[in-house]
Amino acid sequence: MAIKLLHLDDESLISQIQEESREAFATLVNRHSKRFYRIAYRLVSSKDDAEDIVQDAFLKLWNRPNLWDPGRGTKFTTWFYRAVINLCLDHRKKKKLVNISEGIEFADEKPGADILFDLHQKQALLERLICELPERQQLAINLCFYEGLSNNEAAQIIGVRVKALQSLIMRAKTTLKYKVERYLGGGHDDHEF
Amino acid sequence: MTMNFKQFEEKLLMYGADVRKWPKNIRWSALKTLESSPELQKLVKNEERFEGVLNTRKFEEPSKDLAGRIVAAALPRKKKAQRNFGVFFSDMLSEFSLSRRALTAVSVSLIFILIVGFTIGYSTPSRYASAEQYETHLEDFLNYEGDVL
Repeated sequence: MAIKLLHLDDESLISQIQEESREAFATLVNRHSKRFYRIAYRLVSSKDDAEDIVQDAFLKLWNRPNLWDPGRGTKFTTWFYRAVINLCLDHRKKKKLVNISEGIEFADEKPGADILFDLHQKQALLERLICELPERQQLAINLCFYEGLSNNEAAQIIGVRVKALQSLIMRAKTTLKYKVERYLGGGHDDHEF
Repeated sequence: MTMNFKQFEEKLLMYGADVRKWPKNIRWSALKTLESSPELQKLVKNEERFEGVLNTRKFEEPSKDLAGRIVAAALPRKKKAQRNFGVFFSDMLSEFSLSRRALTAVSVSLIFILIVGFTIGYSTPSRYASAEQYETHLEDFLNYEGDVL
């Protein structure tokens, strides 16, 4: 039975979940929990919170599997990405993002000055630079660059046209390049982006 | 067809530094353009370095038992309560564990009490005042002109 389920596509699994099949639910969770955890982690920057959000999203699906309507022509993963992202955005609104780069001072006064950041500080600074992007640009860069989704799928998840999505990616990268060069680049020629 | 510098720069931002992974319809012309332009090659190198920085972003792997935890938390779904009087009645029966005979006895006695109550109520005259008794005689009051001295 379980082996058979492994070969089923997401849509068929959901129809079994509607019949209260725990095996189908377990198969779906095993198949996708890591992928949805990744995007949740990227958006809330906390392992525990990301795990809770993914669990919450899957339990909502278990309790109300009819929420996903295959008739709308949306893939399950696209729809579920949207659900997880909405939970993350709600979570961020409720719990104001802790200033993750606390203690790091920007080199505002001397752009390009050499500052020896350790890896931890660099990561925190990068996280902050990404968090400072407008929400949709953050989503675009997380989905396309970090998750490797196609422009088409990312556009569907965010709810914009592909052209608009591409524009979001371009703006996000341009801003990040400028800031990364300014704060992490150190002003050397070989750090020019 | 080759693409110009500006077009290449835009696509580089959109699709990333690995030109071999660009969409098929533009990949060939992009590679051709890249081959012949040292400027573009430098641009790609810079993009690679930038992506390298982005890839240093912190990431923590999820707990190994995440999926198991989610499945374990999925409790059997509650059936929707049926709004059917028969089902409700039988639920009540099972809830209070009354036998049919006991339930019949309770029902009969309740009906008996109701009948007795109605009988007593109808046979006893009401003590309430009639509506006529409550008349205020407002007109008389308004037409009263007072005692003539």
